[in-house]
Amino acid sequence: MPTLLLEIGCEELPAAACYEAEAQFRELVRTHLGVDPSKVYIGPRRLAVVVDELPERTEDQWAKGPPEARRDEAAAGFARKHGLGEDELEVRDGFLWARVAGEELRGEVLVDRMRAIVHGLTFTKSMRWDDSGHRFARPIRWACEKLDEETLWGDGRSFGRRFFADAVEISTARAYPETLRAAGVEPDAAERERLIRQGLDGLGEWSDPAGVLREVIHLVEWPIVLEASFDERYLALPERVVQAPMQADQRYFPLGGNRFAVVANGGDPDLVRAGHQNVLESRLEDATFTFERDVKKAIDGLAAELGSITFFTGAGSFADKTERLVELVERLGGGEASLEAARLAKADQAAELVREFPDLEGYIGAEYARLAGYPEAVCTAIEEHYLPDAAGAPLPASEGGRLLSAADKIDNLNVAFRLGRRPTGSRDPFGLRRDAIGVCRLAVEGGLTIPREVLEDEARAFVEERLEGLMDVPVEFVRAARASNVPDLGSVAELARVLATLEDARLDRLHTVYTRASNIVRKAGEDELPEVRPELFVEEAERQVAEAQDRAFAGLSEAGSFDEAVTAAEELADPLAHFFDEVLVMADDAAVRRNRLRLLHDVRDLLRSSLGDLAQIPR
Amino acid sequence: MGGLNYQDMIRALEAYWAERECVLMQPYHTELGAGTMNPATFLRCLGPRPWRAAYVEPVIRPGDGRYGENPFRFQHYYQYQVVLKPSPADVLDLYFASLRHLGIELERHDVRLVEDDWENPTIGAWGLGWEVWMDGMEVTQWTYFQQLGGLDVDLVTAEMTYGLERLALFLQGKRSAFELEWAPGVTWGEIYREAERQWSAYNFEEAPVDVLMRRFDEHEAECKQLLERALPLPAYDQVLKASHVFNLLDARGAISVTARAGYIARVRDLAREVARLYLASQAEEHADAAA
Repeated sequence: MPTLLLEIGCEELPAAACYEAEAQFRELVRTHLGVDPSKVYIGPRRLAVVVDELPERTEDQWAKGPPEARRDEAAAGFARKHGLGEDELEVRDGFLWARVAGEELRGEVLVDRMRAIVHGLTFTKSMRWDDSGHRFARPIRWACEKLDEETLWGDGRSFGRRFFADAVEISTARAYPETLRAAGVEPDAAERERLIRQGLDGLGEWSDPAGVLREVIHLVEWPIVLEASFDERYLALPERVVQAPMQADQRYFPLGGNRFAVVANGGDPDLVRAGHQNVLESRLEDATFTFERDVKKAIDGLAAELGSITFFTGAGSFADKTERLVELVERLGGGEASLEAARLAKADQAAELVREFPDLEGYIGAEYARLAGYPEAVCTAIEEHYLPDAAGAPLPASEGGRLLSAADKIDNLNVAFRLGRRPTGSRDPFGLRRDAIGVCRLAVEGGLTIPREVLEDEARAFVEERLEGLMDVPVEFVRAARASNVPDLGSVAELARVLATLEDARLDRLHTVYTRASNIVRKAGEDELPEVRPELFVEEAERQVAEAQDRAFAGLSEAGSFDEAVTAAEELADPLAHFFDEVLVMADDAAVRRNRLRLLHDVRDLLRSSLGDLAQIPR
Repeated sequence: MGGLNYQDMIRALEAYWAERECVLMQPYHTELGAGTMNPATFLRCLGPRPWRAAYVEPVIRPGDGRYGENPFRFQHYYQYQVVLKPSPADVLDLYFASLRHLGIELERHDVRLVEDDWENPTIGAWGLGWEVWMDGMEVTQWTYFQQLGGLDVDLVTAEMTYGLERLALFLQGKRSAFELEWAPGVTWGEIYREAERQWSAYNFEEAPVDVLMRRFDEHEAECKQLLERALPLPAYDQVLKASHVFNLLDARGAISVTARAGYIARVRDLAREVARLYLASQAEEHADAAA
């Protein structure tokens, strides 16, 4: 059977479009040809697919018809619809079936199918380029469709690499990759990646901190890896200030020191290397100018400019933000170094280098603080305070970094919620979910004591909801723990964990008495119950509960852990169970009744404030 | 490499594009932040009429000045702007041939088209295209317009914006724009460096904020008035002037991040109205001509 080739020739496609096409190509071929492609070729100037052994027709399909019981009235119409005689229908599982012949995959039909594949490709960003009405990621300039030697669409020609080869004749579909290789094009993205990696490995240690390789694979048709270097005097710049133009602007790979690798698309290696070195040095020279202007102002000078930079509409300037940070770090128990770091944390927002490379915020501030002679603890805290900056990203390694990170995120959350900028659905333009998860992780993994009261109401609820998703315990336990009065976020998490790992029998006992007490109080619906008065106790069981309550209260106050707290609370279990057996709460005498309700009310509150709203936990 | 000097480079581009049926326009008479804002591009690329033009445009970006100290940043530099409407199928080949015309042996260099999706919010315009890299140097910004003044374009224009300083750095193999040879024996630096110093001082220190604030409002008001009188061309000049005043205020640090979006929206709304009115007037002119 023959081999089919379809090549769509384009002007240079963005890498993102290449990946989008790659993700759709196989499925489109399956849909329109009914077979799997043998090979998919993706690159900046061509998207191609090869099918070895293309069958003559698509496979026959079975169409399900009416139930056999309705053969008399419905069979004729069903058969006619599929171009068959009634006697050609088959019966299976009580239904009539028609065998629908596959379609021929030759000639014009094949061209139509191919067009359908091309039109089936969709892109996040697409454009028009002429009046044909077509939309694609970049203009389509040719198509080459071949069935063995036969040309179905286009003129049987493709194009080689720009300025290396012009149009090339594709003699037969199978010759496609080799013909292109001879014309200076490696059509296979995986092969280009292999060549690039091999070339880089040949230069020794290489790195790709910003992850540009994925894009570079689709920036070249014939990768040539060149070693280059820049003048050593630029090594005086902070390392990431050197890396940013290298990677983000120029897509180079740092090789350590003043060496870097260029992946070029062709040309005379010496000329190309010299050109790239010139460009990088110009960029580094430019960065040096900017850096020196910033350094002349120094970190304190930059901090002094923050009053004129708006932080958030309605939430003042970065100077205002800085004041709040200092206050928050103080409330979180930060020492002198952390407070100093808070004062300088946002200074680099006034730095020109940060305006140029926004990803370097924090890092630049830390470097400038180092240059001004601030203690390393201060600098590290500034550098780390945007961490964790993604799901699963590391927390700040230093105590000061964790404090400042928490303060920064808490302020972002408080401000945004106060101004009604709550994230909705998938829209979270201020990254509040990331901030909230960061705060939770700082408390749970980072061991930071974050008082719940530093978060304003709505922001606190939002953060604690994130805790539900973050913890490896059923959400109901976290919800129960949230209703307790434990003072800080980490304790909420710890309580939830203790409750979730408590032996069933122990949890059941507490759960039962707690829910009974709270149900009775709730159903009675009496409010403003007066304080419990022991002289109104009638039954011994009442007195026992009151005594147990005192013991539990003392035990809970002294408990050093939630395990101990649970043990202390368990003092209440038996007396309460006894109470419910012996005492009729809803006594006729109103004073006695209200006294009993108040007793249960207090017990419930004691349990809830220390162990949470156990009723949230399904039993 | 002893490539063309600056003025010969411009002459070569003029000659090349004139032969490809471009109207050689001259720079516009008021400050522009980009060659795209010249009415020869912004207005002519609206509507259904074919148009081909090429011109040098001085670009004024007050915030980008560095007092003539930094050889890569200026508040005044040049673009060479080419627009082909509609874009022909061989438009990239035409462009590359223009580089050959400047003496660049393309096969000896690393030429790449790197995705660059262009957007100019102050005139409600966007398009898809590339930065053209020559051995890593961005020498041209290349765009297929999709919208101008907030309107979908009728015919897709290919816009090629050559950065003349960068192109000259590449051609002359120089490391500093100040050292570029403009004419035999005369450097770019000799002509413009002192101007960079003085204009930076004006842009960052002296430009009168109160006066500029008032001027912005006046340009806006005048633009609206001219729109009412159905005079889109003079109205458009007021858009350009307002836009330049905004850039100056921005350089003076007089516009907070919050206020910024508001100013941009005001200019964009004006640009959009001008574009609408221009299109309507074109349609009328067309109808008159047909009658």
